Amino acid sequence: MSSRFERYALLLTLPAGIMVLALYALPILQVLSLSLTEGKGAWANYSQLFTSRAVAKVVGTTLNVSLLTTAITLVVAYVIAFGMIHMTARSRRIALLMVSIPFWISVLVRAFAWITILRSQGVLNGALMGLGVISQPLELVYNRLGVTIGMVHYMVPFAVLLLYANLTDIDRRIVQAARSLGARPLTVFLKVWLPLSAPGLGVAALFVLVFSLGFLVTPALLGGGKTLMIAEYISVQISTTRRWDLATALSTALLIVVGLLIALALRSPTMRAAFGGGRR
Amino acid sequence: MSRRFRTRLLTALVWACLLFLVLPVLVVIPVSLTDKTYLSLPSDGLSLQHYRGLAAPETGWSAAMGKSLLLAVCAALISTALAASFAIGAWVRAGWWPSTIRVLMLAPMIVPPIIYAVGMVRVLSAMKLIDSFPGVLAVHVVLGLPMALLAVVASLSNFDNRVVMAARSLGAGPFTIFGKVILPNILPGLSAAAFLAFITSWDEITVTLFITARRFATLPRRIYTSIADSIDPALAAIATLLLLATTAVLAARLFLAGRPDDPAAR
Repeated sequence: MSSRFERYALLLTLPAGIMVLALYALPILQVLSLSLTEGKGAWANYSQLFTSRAVAKVVGTTLNVSLLTTAITLVVAYVIAFGMIHMTARSRRIALLMVSIPFWISVLVRAFAWITILRSQGVLNGALMGLGVISQPLELVYNRLGVTIGMVHYMVPFAVLLLYANLTDIDRRIVQAARSLGARPLTVFLKVWLPLSAPGLGVAALFVLVFSLGFLVTPALLGGGKTLMIAEYISVQISTTRRWDLATALSTALLIVVGLLIALALRSPTMRAAFGGGRR
Repeated sequence: MSRRFRTRLLTALVWACLLFLVLPVLVVIPVSLTDKTYLSLPSDGLSLQHYRGLAAPETGWSAAMGKSLLLAVCAALISTALAASFAIGAWVRAGWWPSTIRVLMLAPMIVPPIIYAVGMVRVLSAMKLIDSFPGVLAVHVVLGLPMALLAVVASLSNFDNRVVMAARSLGAGPFTIFGKVILPNILPGLSAAAFLAFITSWDEITVTLFITARRFATLPRRIYTSIADSIDPALAAIATLLLLATTAVLAARLFLAGRPDDPAAR
């Protein structure tokens, strides 16, 4: 059987193992089990997800904002990552710093900055009215527009770092071959770059979508209670209305959707490769 | 449209997108220097009154900062110790148990934190640990594990297994191998792990929001409540301080020391 050395090695895995089982797996399993037993029971808890008007509206808003965020984020992040791999080393360092600052800065600082800029007496409306472009302040925040702007700004750095890693792995000789065979720049982009970056785009889309669906802070602060997404709706259920049946059923549904999205992504071989990276 | 013009246009687009990332965050700096008592750009002159307000004890900002600092240091140390111990054990001995635990340790990166928050509110209120240091610490340790684990694993993957075999064949016991052979070789990974776990705890808001109230309000919790209730320029001052600290660390890493461990700076 195993040697003394290997038994000790197993012992080393125990503290972290007990910690995540007791303080991560168990609390989440409890959410699942509460969704079956709270209130009037499993059937009532889950059927209200499909019958309640309020839930339907929240789910609609969440899907709408999340899909829009994912689409815009991918375009902006691809432009940045594609530009970065064509820069000189010095410009690339500056670009990397410009991506890293928002990546590492607190989500609260970013939400606060956007409120400062977008609110009706904010920097942007002030500037536009000062220039005489508009006479009434535009409604830029505490609605879907503000939430989407804030979310895109939050997600782009993530997506850039994922796409940049993928794009640097692409063999540049293929691009040169296409060029030397007379392909025009647009053809090279559409027939070489884009297909080869599909796995990276897939992984980035998956992460951005999953993060968006369960995002609490930015939608809550920039939505101002008017644009309600799932995470904030769950938070209202446990902090204010004390509807644990609804909160736990929605949490479980969200967990299942996230799980399905990841399982679906792992079915595609290119995505598996992108996730697993180089196996040892 | 000439080719050159098109390239210039594309370059301009790239930098415009990069500016979209940075400029909005920078707006907190002028706002923090406003001479008004409400959120605005400075108009008649610059003032440091909002920074002085941060230092005043009655505003509670420095107390919140102290709590967050203590919490983040403790969480970082515990997360790193747990992650390192686990990673070394799993590196030596693979199997179903280490694989399962690894998935659970990494899960907080993907599973929406709101779900964990719902679960922890129940668990901690049953244990009467809501709004207490041990309760928040436990959550921050769990949330720091994914990043800490990835950092330690990355550093272990560069470590040659033959060194361990050599030590074993020379008769070294388990404690000698773990403590004197493996551990010293992954020290850079441990410091990266501690740094990442520190940042995770220092920034954590989603779960903390539900398991704290007045007694143990961390800095992010205090900021969140301020943004939601009344937006005042003190927020801009604190945001500026956080922004400057982040930028200083990043610039130092990017331009002075850092290279190999940065995935994007190859």
